Amino acid sequence: MESLGISYRAIGPELVLAVTGVLVMLLEAFSPGRKRRDGILAAAGTVLAGGMALALWDEGPLLAFSRMIIVDGFRVFFTVVILLGTLLTIFISWTFLDEERIPPGEYFALLLFGAVGMTLLVASNDLVMVFLALETITIATYVLAGYRREDLRSMESALKYFILGAFSSAFLVYGIALVYGATRTTNLAEMARLVSGSLGRAEVVLLMAGVAMLLVGFGFKVATVPFHVWTPDVYEGAPTPVTAFLSTAPKAAGFAAFLRVFSLTFAPLGIGSVADQLASHWVAVVTAMSILSMTFGNFIAIAQTNIKRMLAYSSIAHAGYVLIGVLARDWAAVAFYLLVYTIMNLGCFAIVALWARRGDERVAIADYAGLGFRQPMLSFPLAIFLVSLAGFPGTAGFIAKFWLFKSAWGAGFPELVLIGVLNTVVSVYYYLYVVIVMFFREPKEEVARVPLSRAFVATLVVAVAGVFYLGLLPTRVFAILNAAQHLLAVGMR
Amino acid sequence: MGEHLLSWLTFAPTVGALLLLAARLLLAATEETIRRLALAVSLVPLGLCGPMLVTFDPATSGPQMVERIPWIRFFGFNVDYFVGVDGVSLWLVVLSALLVPVSIVISWRAIERHVLEFHIFLLLLETGVIGVFVALDMFLFFIFWEVMLVPMYFLIGIWGYERRIYAAVKFIIYTMVGSALMLAAIISLYYLNGGVTFDIPAIAGNVRAGRLVLDPRTERWLFWGFALAFLIKVPLFPFHTWLPDAHVEAPTAGSVILAGILLKMGGYGLLRFNLPLFPRATEEFAGLLGALAVISIIYGALVSLVQPDLKKLIAYSSVSHMGFVVLGIVARTEMGMQGAIFQMLSHGIATSALFMIAGILSERRHTRLIAEFGGLARPMPVFSALFGILALASAALPTLSGFVGEFLVLVGTYTSGLAPGRVYTVLAATAMILSAAYMLWTLERVLFGAITREENRHLPDVNARERLALVPMAVLVIVMGVLPNPILRRTDSAVLELQRAAPRTILVHWTPPAPRARERLALPGAEVLERR
Repeated sequence: MESLGISYRAIGPELVLAVTGVLVMLLEAFSPGRKRRDGILAAAGTVLAGGMALALWDEGPLLAFSRMIIVDGFRVFFTVVILLGTLLTIFISWTFLDEERIPPGEYFALLLFGAVGMTLLVASNDLVMVFLALETITIATYVLAGYRREDLRSMESALKYFILGAFSSAFLVYGIALVYGATRTTNLAEMARLVSGSLGRAEVVLLMAGVAMLLVGFGFKVATVPFHVWTPDVYEGAPTPVTAFLSTAPKAAGFAAFLRVFSLTFAPLGIGSVADQLASHWVAVVTAMSILSMTFGNFIAIAQTNIKRMLAYSSIAHAGYVLIGVLARDWAAVAFYLLVYTIMNLGCFAIVALWARRGDERVAIADYAGLGFRQPMLSFPLAIFLVSLAGFPGTAGFIAKFWLFKSAWGAGFPELVLIGVLNTVVSVYYYLYVVIVMFFREPKEEVARVPLSRAFVATLVVAVAGVFYLGLLPTRVFAILNAAQHLLAVGMR
Repeated sequence: MGEHLLSWLTFAPTVGALLLLAARLLLAATEETIRRLALAVSLVPLGLCGPMLVTFDPATSGPQMVERIPWIRFFGFNVDYFVGVDGVSLWLVVLSALLVPVSIVISWRAIERHVLEFHIFLLLLETGVIGVFVALDMFLFFIFWEVMLVPMYFLIGIWGYERRIYAAVKFIIYTMVGSALMLAAIISLYYLNGGVTFDIPAIAGNVRAGRLVLDPRTERWLFWGFALAFLIKVPLFPFHTWLPDAHVEAPTAGSVILAGILLKMGGYGLLRFNLPLFPRATEEFAGLLGALAVISIIYGALVSLVQPDLKKLIAYSSVSHMGFVVLGIVARTEMGMQGAIFQMLSHGIATSALFMIAGILSERRHTRLIAEFGGLARPMPVFSALFGILALASAALPTLSGFVGEFLVLVGTYTSGLAPGRVYTVLAATAMILSAAYMLWTLERVLFGAITREENRHLPDVNARERLALVPMAVLVIVMGVLPNPILRRTDSAVLELQRAAPRTILVHWTPPAPRARERLALPGAEVLERR
């Protein structure tokens, strides 16, 4: 069941990603500018890593590397979600790299290094590991956000992301230190065992302070109110494919860690235990964060005129919905939501990125006027993704939201469900506003159609098919998640 | 095909929509071909209504022609694809299948832009509305209920008149507020029933048998969670403000579907959910809803009286006529509910046809103002005859369909145990006078008198295509007015069943269960299981 030793299989996906990243960089150094070769290599590495992750399915649950790495069903599921996000990002960057004349090698390598951090974060069973993984992610993404060097907004985006990211990392690491002080361990499984009993009074106070710091740190990473202020600026300034990446894969990874630390380690189990005491506090705080994120994100999104900013606020709102699942402690619902969100949000951003053209020329919502019937290959998929984000039945967005709300109701949070469903009504307004502009308004001047590459069309087809498949026939994915639940590491329960 | 009749009925339009798309993409079909193909496709569900009516057994009260396939399982979802028809839904399905081909015919020349998309949306809408009427699983019902909004939104927003965007957004936001709360109510009801099924007849059966007893507070909340969605849809005063905008700005086909089918989903929902699932709350709030219904009836009629815009007039008259539907439902007598269902059908045909009449006038003159017309009986005799019949049917002239529905509702309300039932009857009856007043006055201003505008002197009469759409409607209102029994006979046993399930006077005294400490953070599914 458990092994304390070194097992390269346990970090197989991460190794493949890292080696591919290094390879892409080396190739770029010797024969630069071959986008096709670098891209295909990166995509192949991602797919291979996905295969390695799936191969771990039957291995778990087990622990490796001095119990710092965990292999269980949820790690595998989340890893696949992250790699799916990475793969789709590689495809949607295709046209963008040509237009912006960006050297492709480093770009793909950074995406891969970011993915290494994310998959490691999902596999972490130790707070030190969590921190290490988070830093790996952020270093790669800082650079990606500032990738359009000559563009001022991109620089601003990178700098903001860096400063606030560093700030939140400080909170996180301080929180880890305090928690370590209280429990004398950074290992999550060990910690879960300790807090299910009782601790001295001083330790409890220390632990509370540490957990509060951790909450701030995670709150920053997954962009929830009131730790969200960096999001709109960073999402707006970063190159659009990078924004697509930032809003999906790292978020999935962040929430996976959030779940492991809060819903499992500090789970409110055992009446009178330290964990129970802790939970009564963090549950209240996270409830507030969830309500604020949903409401604030949705209402501010209404006022946006730039589609990237609008989607940034929408992603804050979605983080609020996901927190409902964290509170309901329903892993499977959160995992499913993040899978769905990754597909539909990447789909949206893929079209936004293509339509924006060089230097983000067309990112105002008003620029979408007349897109509707002029380029139906773009407008109809975008409408489908937006409708799915709004949670209309028949699309994956509905099943995902329904599941979260259902779990929350069952777990005793009816007020969150009510606030959640009313928030979806608010969100309908701004998602459909884009549809209105696309289909119901005529453009001021004739708009040029954009050429579609084959990789792009393939991405759209996959994403649209995914939205409908998960929206109409989710049973198979449910079955997988159900199996994953049984593969949850014993030490973690 | 036999045992999948309802599925064919529901999804034939979707298949048709895909066919249209294929015809355009693969065969480069012209717009005329698209129209013909769409009409042919829309006749399939109408044709399937024949076998459905033949198979339907009037003596059975429960759902018939049932199909049930497990759909989504795991994590306590237990959603079935579960469809069937009973007396309440049977005729509404027929109505839906009838109005779509009629809409296609009437839009033949009116829709010039994006013809393919128009017909695709119309057909998808048909799947949505038929699905709402046949779904017997709450989850499935909700999916159809919401899916239908998207095509309607596009129909208003793309092919509507000047203020179409405002109207489309208002329509969707109003409806979404209602359905969001209904979703919460569905989830809650699911857990209260033990978290095992979304099956509506099964839950209703549990309520009837006393296996599922809700404490009064919960029952009230759930009642309103469902009722609000339905009352917005009906629409009942004071939730009606979206309707005039949506109707006036929608293209003719949109108005036809909106008035003919979408409003009925509200009345249907009350009969399907509120009455059988929350009998005590229904009893408690019947007086209030009755009062709102009476206000709608009178208010709608009064506003119609002063409308200068023909389409708006018909829209407000809908508020008035749909008030009768709610009044009949909350009366919960056999006659009241029979009347409500009949009134839904009658209104669905007469008012839709009146919207077509208004559409024909506005196509010819590009105005909907009543003052712009006058003396049309001379240049347009056939049109005038049809307008006359349909307007009088709407105004509930005896021997026409409107009379049967409203009369049954009034008698049903009078004999009900509803506290001020007789007062309601008297007040609602006065509105019948008002409705005669505004309809006759409108007829007079549009059709009779001297021709005041030169442009009206040579308006072409209805052509063959317009007759094809309007004449069947005029015939139907007469037939339904003279021979209502074939319809009423098929709705009767379902209505009697509803009456038994939701009796007017419930004198069962039961002590509410003691409030239990709510367990926060319990595992999913562990919420209150209040079964007796």
